[in-house]
Amino acid sequence: MTIDPAGLIDDRPDEGIFRVDRAIFSDPGIFDLEMRHIFEGGWVFLGLASQARAPHDFFTTQAGRVPILIMRDGEGQLGAFVNSCPHKGAQVAQTRAGNARIHVCPYHSWSFDSAGRNRGIKWQRAGCYAAAFEQSDHGLARLPHFGEYRGFLFGSLAADVPTLAAHLGGAARFLDFVVGQPPAGVELVPGAVTFTYDANWKLQLENCSDAYHFTSAHPSYIQIMERRQKGDSAAAVRSIWDQSQAWSEDAEGVQGGSYSFEHGHVLNWGRIGLTGSHPLFESAGDIAARHGAAGRDWIFNMRNLTIFPNLQIAENASSQLRMIQPIAPGRTLMRTWCIAPSGESGAARRQRIRQYEDFFNPSGMATPDDTVAYESCQRGHAGRVDPWLQGYARGMTAGRAGGNRLSDAIGASPRRSVLADSQLCDETLYHNYYREWARRMAAGVGAERA
Amino acid sequence: MTAALSRSEAEDFLYLEAALLDEGDWDAWLALYTEDAIFRMPAWRDEETLCSDPDTELSLIHYDGRGGLEDRVFRARSGQSVASHPRPRCVHVIGNVRLIDGADGIAEVASTFTVFLHDMRADRTHHFFGRYRHMLRHEAGTWRIARKHIVLLNDTIPTVVDFYSI
Repeated sequence: MTIDPAGLIDDRPDEGIFRVDRAIFSDPGIFDLEMRHIFEGGWVFLGLASQARAPHDFFTTQAGRVPILIMRDGEGQLGAFVNSCPHKGAQVAQTRAGNARIHVCPYHSWSFDSAGRNRGIKWQRAGCYAAAFEQSDHGLARLPHFGEYRGFLFGSLAADVPTLAAHLGGAARFLDFVVGQPPAGVELVPGAVTFTYDANWKLQLENCSDAYHFTSAHPSYIQIMERRQKGDSAAAVRSIWDQSQAWSEDAEGVQGGSYSFEHGHVLNWGRIGLTGSHPLFESAGDIAARHGAAGRDWIFNMRNLTIFPNLQIAENASSQLRMIQPIAPGRTLMRTWCIAPSGESGAARRQRIRQYEDFFNPSGMATPDDTVAYESCQRGHAGRVDPWLQGYARGMTAGRAGGNRLSDAIGASPRRSVLADSQLCDETLYHNYYREWARRMAAGVGAERA
Repeated sequence: MTAALSRSEAEDFLYLEAALLDEGDWDAWLALYTEDAIFRMPAWRDEETLCSDPDTELSLIHYDGRGGLEDRVFRARSGQSVASHPRPRCVHVIGNVRLIDGADGIAEVASTFTVFLHDMRADRTHHFFGRYRHMLRHEAGTWRIARKHIVLLNDTIPTVVDFYSI
């Protein structure tokens, strides 16, 4: 019997209580509901428009457990389809990306054009098909909803969802700032990095928004940055972390904060400022011209943006785009890329890549200290003497409804905001994840019972 | 008289590097590298193509100079990296060693590797495999690594990969 998800989030704002039951990270029934009602039941991030720039370009991706094929047709329109032949179900595209006017299913040679239309059923006339078959559509199944915002592609396998604009809500304002959003758009640096960890997908969801762990989980990385700054190390790889006070425990005043948006999206940020080692420094003038001075300052801040449930964009010394792909309650696949402004200079691109590798890669010096901690949490979650986790309480008295002067300056409209000094490390932004999680799960369970 | 390297000397050299990594003798491992050594493990551009230009394409690891490796060793020993302690038990198996060039104080050696790891914390064993290309330079009377290029073939990384496990 499946646990009722409604009982797993203890959300009592009037009493100052928000707790999460450990079962949400490990229960197989909960995982199945998440796949059906969150990942396959609403908007998910699928990729970037720049992954298929030319007519007939395609790439393959995933929505929950469902393989997806994104194609740009001959007229230049992007479309999203289930990557599965309507005949027997085989995947019609076999590779991560490519260019093809026609995709031929490898199993029985049914063929499809780049608009998803069926262009051939092998030996159709000899097939003695009934009229009912001849009259039905044999194209690839199109996703009920598919849309683009600022080069980011989203789709929904469920028909009954809000518009993409409504889904993104106020969080869209922060997609406007990703790597400065130059006129040429955003792109992925060649070289995707994929890793797995043996823990629940929501540990990654939370960690991206977790300012509290940084000095605890990454002191070795911080020390290396200090070594490099002092010249103890001959390494050429430098980082804007050198110049940031955001992680310094004795920094004074507002050093960052968080915003919560509708539908579970959150942003947490830290003050960094314009520094010469930021790869966008060369473009600071153009960025100010496009986004204004306040927008420029935001673009040079450290920002971790989560578009619930599967897109995270982390920008600091470099810039990472992550797709969270749950595999099982205790196993997650992460597809990660360095996201960059199209058309940046060779020197800036090199700087962006070098700063990326040491910090973001699973082969680097920071991410493994996160993923190993997730696995430790996952094992620890077996302890159910007290099932309620206490990691959602920091900042409970610091938040306010709506935005603040910093969001007002860029016309952003969060539902809730927190301004933080270096030690506040708000945990209430996770409430936004779990309120949306509970809402989607309850709606799904209700629909199943009806 | 300039230094030349034979295949059996090249094999001995690669086996020594593997043993130093496996046994945690990382100061001796670092000493095998020249000051300006390039250490690189590129990411894959697609299923069949490796990234080739480290300045426009991503690497899993790229250091231009031994200092980057010194940082890695510092971190692994710092006691401040949960991923690095307890250190997984590793063994490198080196094979298919070919001497591409070995005259005039410069040698190029191709080989294959498999690294088996056991992570006690997760009670999990896995392996990495791929190809090495070592560029060796004879300096101060001994051969040192001026460039190491690692092609990791199973590049879906299970949680952690570090210098000692490739």
